[in-house]
Amino acid sequence: MKRKDIFLGNGAIALGLLEAGCQMVTSYPGTPSSEILPEVVRLVKSEGLDTYVEWSTNEKVALDAAFAASITGKRAACCMKQVGLNVASDSLMSAAYMGTIGGLVIISCDDPGPHSSQTEQDSRLMARIAKVPVLDPSNPQEAREMVQLAMDISEEFRTPVILRPAIRVCHARQSISWGSLKNSNRKASFEKDPTRWAATPGFRFKLHGELNQKLKEIRKKFEGLTLYNFHNLKPGKRYPLGIIAGGVPYSVVHDILSEEGREDDIPVLKIGTTYPLPEDLSDEFMSACEKVLVIEETDTVIEYLLRDKNKVLGRLSDHVPSQGELLPEVIYNLINRALDECQSSPLKGGIGPEALELVKNLELPVKRPTLCPGCAHRAAFFAIRKAKPKAIYTSDIGCYTLGLNMGAVDTVLDMGAAITMACGFYHSFAQDNVIQSVVSTIGDSTFYHAGSAGLMSAVYNDARFILIILDNQITAMTGMQPTPALGIRADGSTGKAIPLERIVAGCGVDFIEVVDPYDIKSLIGLIKKADKWVQDPNGGIAVIIARHPCLIAYRDEAIPQRKNVIITEDCVECNYCIDRFECPALYKDEELGRTVVDQGMCSGCGVCLEVCPKGAIIEA
Amino acid sequence: MENVNIVLCGLGGQGILFMTKVLAQAALKKDLKVLGAETHGMAQRGGSVISHLKLGSVEGSLVRAGTAHYLLSLDENEAYRNISLLAKGGRLYADAKEKSFPRPEVKQYLDSLEIVARSVPAGKIAMEMGSPMSSNLAMLGFFSAFNEGPLNHKEIRDTIDQISPDRFKENNLKAFDAGFAGKTDKRG
Repeated sequence: MKRKDIFLGNGAIALGLLEAGCQMVTSYPGTPSSEILPEVVRLVKSEGLDTYVEWSTNEKVALDAAFAASITGKRAACCMKQVGLNVASDSLMSAAYMGTIGGLVIISCDDPGPHSSQTEQDSRLMARIAKVPVLDPSNPQEAREMVQLAMDISEEFRTPVILRPAIRVCHARQSISWGSLKNSNRKASFEKDPTRWAATPGFRFKLHGELNQKLKEIRKKFEGLTLYNFHNLKPGKRYPLGIIAGGVPYSVVHDILSEEGREDDIPVLKIGTTYPLPEDLSDEFMSACEKVLVIEETDTVIEYLLRDKNKVLGRLSDHVPSQGELLPEVIYNLINRALDECQSSPLKGGIGPEALELVKNLELPVKRPTLCPGCAHRAAFFAIRKAKPKAIYTSDIGCYTLGLNMGAVDTVLDMGAAITMACGFYHSFAQDNVIQSVVSTIGDSTFYHAGSAGLMSAVYNDARFILIILDNQITAMTGMQPTPALGIRADGSTGKAIPLERIVAGCGVDFIEVVDPYDIKSLIGLIKKADKWVQDPNGGIAVIIARHPCLIAYRDEAIPQRKNVIITEDCVECNYCIDRFECPALYKDEELGRTVVDQGMCSGCGVCLEVCPKGAIIEA
Repeated sequence: MENVNIVLCGLGGQGILFMTKVLAQAALKKDLKVLGAETHGMAQRGGSVISHLKLGSVEGSLVRAGTAHYLLSLDENEAYRNISLLAKGGRLYADAKEKSFPRPEVKQYLDSLEIVARSVPAGKIAMEMGSPMSSNLAMLGFFSAFNEGPLNHKEIRDTIDQISPDRFKENNLKAFDAGFAGKTDKRG
């Protein structure tokens, strides 16, 4: 029975995976990929399927597991954000050589903008480096179809395939018709073949040759894949300008040309399979056009792969911006510029610069993201700055990156770098006989993802710093996924809980204390105690676990007793609370001339009662 | 039906995603084709948030500048920030004080494009009801009171009734009805 529902792009991908008979889906959360696995779980439960799902501790772990499932003959997938693919790249490069049995699809979600990422890197380039095919969907419906295609290609050619949806696919919503889903009946079997599954360098050379041969055959297949690679040239007609586009930019180009009624005089070649590029099809398209504008996100991939670059207008010729999202208005303007250069008539429906000028002149305040009212990270950062004001603050990826608003975060490199950079800072200064305090902050989920290897290394190499694990008992930023500490698995079932304390002790740390950061005084006292341990010749790394549940995930537990906080007339407008505590519920009332509490926003945590140097923040 | 483009904006935590969901679901029930785009991740922690919703036959999920028929904003400044998205003859609904909205320089721009601006103190309405997080529903109620979009008041209300989690349902409908009652046509 067919029904119609609105699917989030990531839900459409989940649907595609289950329609394709995928029996294992692994993932580590990261925007914009985080909802794929929960959507798989939702569908698995509603349709009564037995697909295995897991939140793995990181992306490499996720890919290794999915790869193993593939070589037992089952279809498997693993999902991550683009920077997660960096973590999984060791696995990816090798898996490409070894090949697959059952379909293996890696879904790596890109974030042009970037909206919620460290980089704007293009997963299609990673596919090129790894020599695996990559598909680039334009909208949720196509992403759903391409999952099936990716599985089929993976099985036919025995190679992993990457699906690269960008954020505007992942976080799009679309009405989609779908029917019932069925379990796959494939059973696991493993045929030993050390020359492939445990190949030594000599065999790797052979496997590399096989891979290169596969890519040639896949390219031929892609040339004829008219559902996803197509153009609208009229036979014999010549055009001053054509457009080659893939992914999200294709959908934008399509809508613009259709709104403007220009489909007939500006032909478009849509490329759904970026690599291997259907080169013959591209040549055919280019031979009918004087110039070709290439529009792709976020890097140059199609543009590099085109054989004849003489006609190309793109990033290499500065016709397309090399950073930032290609928003519809950006694409509109760059098409117009290309039309102008080709002496073709311009598009007509764009807006002038007036509105943007107007908005600029309004000098609107920029609302930066902040930690939520009541967030325990805020309390921890406040205590850290009070206890160790001159330290270098290394931090990490998660909500607590926002500690930078409070001056309590100095570095954010990549997952786990709070610890590894603390080690590097310590030794770099120690080499000069300088004792530089370093206070490192990392979230619980990030610690499970990439913290323990760095901590072991730092202990082993006798680095000295204070590590504060901000344990809010959830992966918060990406939408509240469980961590291994909870013993709750991706499908809600019970798993074995692994407490942070045990891992930290296992890494060789001898100073481990647990505290609730809402108790700022105790945390400050502990940081000072930890500092003594760090400086003691017989001491070492000190770890404080600052444990308080996330307010969004655990509303009632986070604030068992709401405190009614007000600010008295003792407020001298020193701004200390606003600058150093940075709670969104504290703001300056221009009419009253002092700081007040926004009662609608206040969580009632009461932590700010400890903050005012004048004692003007009190409980009513 | 011609394609209809709706943009919803505000700040992280105000419930823009739920508003989008309500309108998308209501459109689906009318058998309209729905495609939209949302903000997730870092920006949800209090930064600018924007949702795009396109009803009709389209391929791309983002509303292009100058093509939005309706802009609903839960914050006055965010309404201004996204003003360039509005099409000629569009409609702007914002949570703002009626007296000072829109700012004179903005009004001049809106008038030049025949855009009608309407304000409702959605946040205040929600606060007075004792559920400060419901300004999104009050705004939807206000929007529905004008019966201008492709979705009418009843269709939107029924959808809220249908998709609200049980523990929020009563409050959601109350906030929606209060917003509906807050209709004040600035031109009328």
